Amino acid sequence: MKRFFALLQPIWEFGAALGRRLHFLVTSLALVPSALARPRQFIEQLFYVGSVSVILIAVGGLFVGLVLALQFYTALSRFGATSSLGGLVTLALLRELGPVLTALLFAGRAGTSLASELGLMRATRQIDAMEVMAVDPMRRIVAPRFLAGILAMPLLAAIFSAMGVLGSYLIGIKMMGLDPGVFWSSMRHEVRFHSDFVNGMIKSLIFGVACSLISLYEGYHARPTAEGVGQATTRSVVISSMAILALDFLLTSFMY
Amino acid sequence: MTTAALARPWTGTPDLEPPPGPNAIRVRDVHFGYGSRVVFSGLNLTVPEGRITAILGPSGSGKSTLIELMTGQKRVLRGEIEVGGEEVGALSRRALFRLRRRMGVLFQDGALFTDLSVFENVAFPVREHTRLAEALVHHLVLMKLEAVGLRGAHSLYPSQLSGGMARRVALARSIVLDPWIMFYDEPLVGLDPIAMGMILRLIVHLNRSLGITSLIVSHDVSEMLEVADWCYLIAEGRVQGAGPPAAIREMGSPWVRQFVSGGPEGPVPFHYPGRPYADDLFGAVRPA
Repeated sequence: MKRFFALLQPIWEFGAALGRRLHFLVTSLALVPSALARPRQFIEQLFYVGSVSVILIAVGGLFVGLVLALQFYTALSRFGATSSLGGLVTLALLRELGPVLTALLFAGRAGTSLASELGLMRATRQIDAMEVMAVDPMRRIVAPRFLAGILAMPLLAAIFSAMGVLGSYLIGIKMMGLDPGVFWSSMRHEVRFHSDFVNGMIKSLIFGVACSLISLYEGYHARPTAEGVGQATTRSVVISSMAILALDFLLTSFMY
Repeated sequence: MTTAALARPWTGTPDLEPPPGPNAIRVRDVHFGYGSRVVFSGLNLTVPEGRITAILGPSGSGKSTLIELMTGQKRVLRGEIEVGGEEVGALSRRALFRLRRRMGVLFQDGALFTDLSVFENVAFPVREHTRLAEALVHHLVLMKLEAVGLRGAHSLYPSQLSGGMARRVALARSIVLDPWIMFYDEPLVGLDPIAMGMILRLIVHLNRSLGITSLIVSHDVSEMLEVADWCYLIAEGRVQGAGPPAAIREMGSPWVRQFVSGGPEGPVPFHYPGRPYADDLFGAVRPA
């Protein structure tokens, strides 16, 4: 009997951990209106979350665009289809690489920043201080950051994709000598607003929920020690990355 | 004026209960622990209203845990804690927050918000709980900072403050809404003698001038015996002795005498229990 319960223990623990995260998600979502009611805090967080990631996202997007254009140009030139370069790169960026890579970079930069900030607030008892002042830390700390993370992600993904398109433009037109008119018209012809752009933004929004939730949860529940904060930060990146890739598969299978 | 001179004479007798009068807190048969580790096993004590009560005990005796139980940050396993006539463990979150608005807590390391300036830290509870005009908030905050002697430091950030200054800012923050009771969690830890004296004077001043009930948990015995009206000594999960400071100094219990005098030998051994020294050094079996 003891062995049977020992076997069930990991399942029980997994269920309990999932339940705690779901509860955190529901509470955070329920507090979103209160975050909107205090626009100053929310805008401050949006600026902070966005500003720590924007350079990384822009540079990342530019290089991904450069590499994509080089790879696609080589492949397309074998079939004499280099005129489709603009459309192909933009599709790859809007549908997949923009949302996914932005979310992965966000998890590594803004996500860790959120997790370590909350972890340190826990370790230095700032969260406890707020509690005993009769101020709900979920409302005051978590909700504005959660909303900022959700909204920052699609904006950052749009910047990533725009920079990627710029990179492919530099390779296709400036380096390989493609006709600019052909490049842009291929993009206009291939890309659909709803199925490509809007679906990409929806993906980003969902990744924003997942990344913000995971980072905030790990930071908020970090053990109040230096080691605990470090572990929470690492866990936030690892879990966020896995969640982004798994969610991407699910969303892609439903959307396309 | 020294802090000892500020302390009022106490007419109570050495007993486990303070003399009759209105009580701010009643702790009845409280049991609490972390997993298999028992922290309290049948703790009973009463905190008189309007007085300074010190809870003294060695490190790890559960003093800070007791504040967490009284402020509802943790729940008792058995027994009850009444604060201001309300049983803390039975309160809903909303009712608990209502009660906490009447409390002030000074944390061991201040727990200041590191992203806010001194002014913003002190203004934080006012902005969260009231809708006062900004000019009033400004006046209120500066008055509290003046009371702790740090009006001139209002624009500094916590990272620019010394330990003693941070503790005084935290004190200003915790009294900004004029609480009815103040909890001090190890207020003197890590402070130099000057900063220690300043904090003690402020605690006594707040109690004497505003009548704020004060509960201090500390292991700084000599300082606490100077300012407290009533003391409890806790160890091994229960009250080991109680009374006014003069009575605590005279107590005959070997444990109390060792604790008050800070002696290395006595009922509390210097060595952690273990195998005989010779066995560990020369025994055949290596220690795990």
